[in-house]
Amino acid sequence: MAENSPNLAVRQNIVELSDVSVEYRVPQERIGTFKEYAIRMLQGKIKHRTFKALNGVNLEVKQGEIFGLIGPNGAGKSTLLKLVSRVIRPSHGRVVVRGNVAPLLEIGAGFHPELTGRENVFLNGAMLGFSRQEMEDKFPRIVDFAELGDFIEAPIRTYSSGMLARLGFAVATDSQPDILIVDEILSVGDEAFQHKSYERILSIKAQGATILLVSHSMGMIESMCQRAAWLDHGQIMSMGPSKEVIDRYLGRVSEEENRQLIEDSHHETITKDRDYKAVEIRQVKILNSQNNEQQVFHTGESMAVQIEYQANESIDSLEVGIAINRSDGVHITGPNTTYSGLDIKVRSGPGGVVYTVPSLPLMEGMYQISVALVNRQGNKMLDLQDKLYVFRINNRGHHVRERYGLMTLGGEWRFM
Amino acid sequence: MNFQANLPVVYDSTRRGSVIFEELREILNYRHLIWQLVRRDILTRYKRSFLGVAWTMLNPLGMMLVWTIAFSQIFKSNDLPAYPAFVLNGLLAWTFFSQTTTAAMVNLVWGGGLLNRIYIPRVSFAVAAMGTGIVNLGLSLIPLFIVMFATGLTIHLSIIFVPVSILVLVAFSLGVGLLLSTLAVYFPDISEMYQIVLLAWMFLTPVMYPETILPDAYRFYITNLNPLYHIMKLFRIPLYYGRFPTPAEFLIPLGIASVVVVVGWIVFARKSDEFAYRI
Repeated sequence: MAENSPNLAVRQNIVELSDVSVEYRVPQERIGTFKEYAIRMLQGKIKHRTFKALNGVNLEVKQGEIFGLIGPNGAGKSTLLKLVSRVIRPSHGRVVVRGNVAPLLEIGAGFHPELTGRENVFLNGAMLGFSRQEMEDKFPRIVDFAELGDFIEAPIRTYSSGMLARLGFAVATDSQPDILIVDEILSVGDEAFQHKSYERILSIKAQGATILLVSHSMGMIESMCQRAAWLDHGQIMSMGPSKEVIDRYLGRVSEEENRQLIEDSHHETITKDRDYKAVEIRQVKILNSQNNEQQVFHTGESMAVQIEYQANESIDSLEVGIAINRSDGVHITGPNTTYSGLDIKVRSGPGGVVYTVPSLPLMEGMYQISVALVNRQGNKMLDLQDKLYVFRINNRGHHVRERYGLMTLGGEWRFM
Repeated sequence: MNFQANLPVVYDSTRRGSVIFEELREILNYRHLIWQLVRRDILTRYKRSFLGVAWTMLNPLGMMLVWTIAFSQIFKSNDLPAYPAFVLNGLLAWTFFSQTTTAAMVNLVWGGGLLNRIYIPRVSFAVAAMGTGIVNLGLSLIPLFIVMFATGLTIHLSIIFVPVSILVLVAFSLGVGLLLSTLAVYFPDISEMYQIVLLAWMFLTPVMYPETILPDAYRFYITNLNPLYHIMKLFRIPLYYGRFPTPAEFLIPLGIASVVVVVGWIVFARKSDEFAYRI
């Protein structure tokens, strides 16, 4: 969908935010009652904290483009959409909008359960600023698109959630707006309707509308948007061609995840129980090809699991084994030193083994590693750390020839 | 695709003018929404009841009966002729005031958070509450005429003044409703408190009784300090008393209502930008 538009630069800005900040003054403590407020006010004890939902944002959206907004929850994406749709005003800076805005912020906001579908269509239309005459014209098309049939005359408390979503979407998108604001839209209704709403958005776009799209689906942003902005803590971290912005954003997400996972695993090792063990696991590290600790990998990358143990007794036939499970419980593999022909005899003191995977065949997901030490004489479990170590496969930004399922078999396609 | 060379600026956050006039302009643009909200309130209120909209008329009649029975021993017929008509006349104005001010506040604060989802003029809820009140008041004039006829009162030419009385009542209620709404956004407890205030206010206003029964010491306070007294009287004069108001009887309530509605509108409009964060 992302088309090449060489003339993007010459098009006019349809939405312009210049140095826009949105501040909320929130009381530091919640004061709920008038009495409390009056007392505090007399005592001069009301302290306010300023919360910046957006901080110095500059943004220009060109006419006719689909512009994506990405970022974690609470980054200010919805605040930005609300600024454009006039729901809130900037505390500083300037917002200029050159066209009428159709918000798909909350589909069906303002529906009344006791009213019929027909009555709600007119009510909802009025909230979007349409006159009765305009709604009379739209009504047949709306009912047709929402696929409600005779249900349109029934109170909407009798509707299924899918029917409600269809009706709300149909009312909000019936007219051709200059700017369409879409916040996680395509998660409503069944698959057939999702497809239909996707088509409708594309047709609105085809007629020249500008679309502001917020989504947590990077795939959708990448396929639909030419440009995107990554927001975090009310500031724009990166803006430009959507693919580049997404890669930067996901790079940061991986870094954060990696750091978090490493922190967590160290924490676990320290706090584990300290009972006496003949041989105990001292440290387990997941390493990349440069022998650095890493917890986010991509398919095809090499990975090593380094296990250090401490022997308190001498054991002639120690076996070190690991199990790898996907986070949903699917057991991937369970290699151990015995099957690989590695005989381990330990005397009191430290020791260690490394399990190396030259090329990870696993597809995207979370995986857990369990580590066990076993005395083969008497088949006795000496130490076990169950699913304590976690790594993740994330293929964003890497060329991987397969996408679905558990793993790649490394197979190749050719003409017969 | 054709892209216009010069797009008109539809919205510019810095080019705004006064909030007070902006709300006024927008409410005119959204007059269709007001009509739809009024329609919704009236349709849904009686949707599940058997007698439906007839309750708009039965309700004040029932209240009138209760008050008439309760007070029939206190006022002999020569003190206050056609007491049921007197009570009903007062009740209609009182019910309008108490219901519309409560509805303005409740619809804004508990209106499903509509204000922080899509743009609609913030005064919509209060204005729509007045619209609903006017429809209900208009319908309940029918039982009032019946009761007036049954108690031997005649309807005079002064009835043509009733719309003016209603307009003054609406302005006053809108002003109070807007002030209450602004307060209730910050302190949700206001709506509970207001119900108690209303009860006290009703007894301090000559709704059920004529101000002539008040001891002189108290009468001064009620007639001078209770703004609702003058507004209610303006509604009673052309109906129950069957005459046109004197200039003072008209200008005092008109002045009060104008001040209250202007102050209420200004306070509400100036604070309205904060509502979307608070609700």
